[in-house]
Amino acid sequence: MTDTTSPGGTTADGGPDRTGAPDAPASRLSARGLTLAYESRTVVDGLDLDVPDGRVTVVVGPNACGKSTLLRALGRLLRPRRGAVLLDGRELDRVPTRAVARSLGLLPQAPVAPEAITVGNLVARGRQPHQRWWQQWSEADERAVTDAMDSTGVTGLADRAVDELSGGQRQRVWIAMALAQETELLLLDEPTTYLDIAHQVEVLDLVRRLNRERGRTVVMVLHDLNQAARYADHLVAMREGRIVAQGPPGRAVTADLVREVFGLEAVVVPDPVTGGPLVVPGAPASASAAAPATVPVNIRKATP
Amino acid sequence: MTAPDAVGETPREAPGREAPVRPPGYGLVRRGRASFLLHRRSAAVTAALAAALAAAVVASLCLGETATAPTEVVRVLLGLPSPEELVVGTLRLPRVVLGLMVGAALGVAGGLIQTVARNPLASPEIIGVTHGAAALTVGAMTFGLTSYALLPYLSVAGGMLAAALVYVFAWRRGLSAARFVLIGLGFSVALRSLTQLFMTKGDFLAAQQAQVWLTGSLNGRGWEQAGPLGWALLAVLPAVLWCARAQRQAALDDDTATALGVRLGRVRLGLAATGVVLASVATGAAGPVDFVALLSPQIARRLTRTAQIPLLATALLGAFVVTLGDLLARRLLAPVELPVGVLTAAIGAPYLVWLIARGRTGGRP
Ligand SMILES: Nc1ncnc2c1ncn2[C@@H]1O[C@H](COP(=O)(O)OP(=O)(O)OP(=O)(O)O)[C@@H](O)[C@H]1O
Ligand SMILES: [Mg+2]
Repeated sequence: MTDTTSPGGTTADGGPDRTGAPDAPASRLSARGLTLAYESRTVVDGLDLDVPDGRVTVVVGPNACGKSTLLRALGRLLRPRRGAVLLDGRELDRVPTRAVARSLGLLPQAPVAPEAITVGNLVARGRQPHQRWWQQWSEADERAVTDAMDSTGVTGLADRAVDELSGGQRQRVWIAMALAQETELLLLDEPTTYLDIAHQVEVLDLVRRLNRERGRTVVMVLHDLNQAARYADHLVAMREGRIVAQGPPGRAVTADLVREVFGLEAVVVPDPVTGGPLVVPGAPASASAAAPATVPVNIRKATP
Repeated sequence: MTAPDAVGETPREAPGREAPVRPPGYGLVRRGRASFLLHRRSAAVTAALAAALAAAVVASLCLGETATAPTEVVRVLLGLPSPEELVVGTLRLPRVVLGLMVGAALGVAGGLIQTVARNPLASPEIIGVTHGAAALTVGAMTFGLTSYALLPYLSVAGGMLAAALVYVFAWRRGLSAARFVLIGLGFSVALRSLTQLFMTKGDFLAAQQAQVWLTGSLNGRGWEQAGPLGWALLAVLPAVLWCARAQRQAALDDDTATALGVRLGRVRLGLAATGVVLASVATGAAGPVDFVALLSPQIARRLTRTAQIPLLATALLGAFVVTLGDLLARRLLAPVELPVGVLTAAIGAPYLVWLIARGRTGGRP
């Protein structure tokens, strides 16, 4: 399905921004010539990516384009067929897995909890890479877990069995587990699935707070382009295993990009809340129809 | 839909908190930088099981063709002079000790194998250990092996060899739990046919003797089996201690475990190897004792209500079930003896059914 012809290259076809620009921020986590495959099918071919430190990077793209696959490789859940993922300049495979787990956390798209485990115990599992047989529950563990549960609003669920929660509650528990790991880099695969709109915004605000207040580097896959545009510092648009465009959403999100990535006609207007880009699907009747004032405003205001 | 409670159910105030927060159900001990968690319910269950086991052991030493007073049994156990020394110390004790060890080893083996297979129905029988042991032993007997002393060792070798083959065949870029069980099942069926083939083709008398030896029973077994088994278990003990922690990690799904820095490939191999060695040496010493490996871990987990199988409680429960089973096997139809496996199944199965039916931790199929 991938027809990439540029073995080393990545961004293509008039992407508005390029990595490796002279003023590009430092990057602890990057991919070089990454080729990812399951059995015989190649999903990602020769991809390069620098995850900017201290920023929120959001990956968007249509279903099955390889977003989760890329994220799994960045989190060393999938071994590259060719190329490498570099953490602090070292190949991920060469770094001891515990050490990786202390600086890189990942929430898979569909995690499965052990049978009958309680919420408190599952979140506590996030401390695994920081623990030893003789250090089973340090004060740091305590602080991290309390913190993670409070900020995801699952403290009151601590004694409930994970099996018995609603999809949204469960999702927040998993996010709490990933937060409890207290890694500087955090990879989240569709953290907003199952959540209602209010909780989506809450989780995204939480992610942003982690980034702004604690300097965490975040890479997340999101399906909603507008949420991506709103919460990303750096937006990566993928299609068929390639990066089609990347950059700040203000520049990256254009009607052309939406057409190219999703094959969807859309109008991009300024977001009435943030002033950033807002994608409104559908072709305008005439070219001038896209006046901001006509856009219905029903998006909850982000908490500052 | 998400509950509006989500917002209301948030924190107790974080600062000024007194009692340390810890995972629900756990007690905490801190000494300097060291800290240990103790699952309270598991501790209570373990203590109760230890008491039940002690009672079963004493009962088992008391009862026989003649009954002995518990006070005399205790005297013998303490090494004090006693008129019952011969009956208790020489005749009954080795058999009880062997039963204890076999039960504990099988229970833990079952727990480890079930963890690796991610399947509560997995057992040494299903992954090839039992039938591998049978095939090699019966094969050797029918093809002219005459040394009985070698039989246990052959049995151990057969079990480990079969399980190793199953593991290798189930491996394809990592171990798939489902493949492990299915390939194990396939091997077991094939090995059982092979055993039967040996029995019909080979020397009839030898085959009969092999079969008797392979019926799980503690009858006529004693220090010759208990001694080597004890040493073997002692040698495996460090691995079992490692497993106790590793097992917790293996309970998570592959991606989550890897993300948390667990080397799942190694962990699974370690768990499976330890389980197979335990099951093999136990089978070598007493023949296949049915259901102990299958039932003990599940009963223990339901008693402790933990997410993973509690190994110590499982060991005690396995030992208890075999001790009690053997006592009943000896006394129920005395002087006729039943195979202990029949009794362990008769005790364990109804209890497990009751636990599940009543179950809080019902569990997915
Ligand atoms: N474990 C697997 N084995 C084989 N093929 C897989 C596996 N996981 C994913 N794929 C294939 O790889 C391709 C990319 O999948 P991936 O999960 O990365 O998509 P995605 O962009 O995350 O999609 P979505 O938005 O639906 O989550 C798909 O064609 C998928 O069928
Ligand atoms: Mg995906």
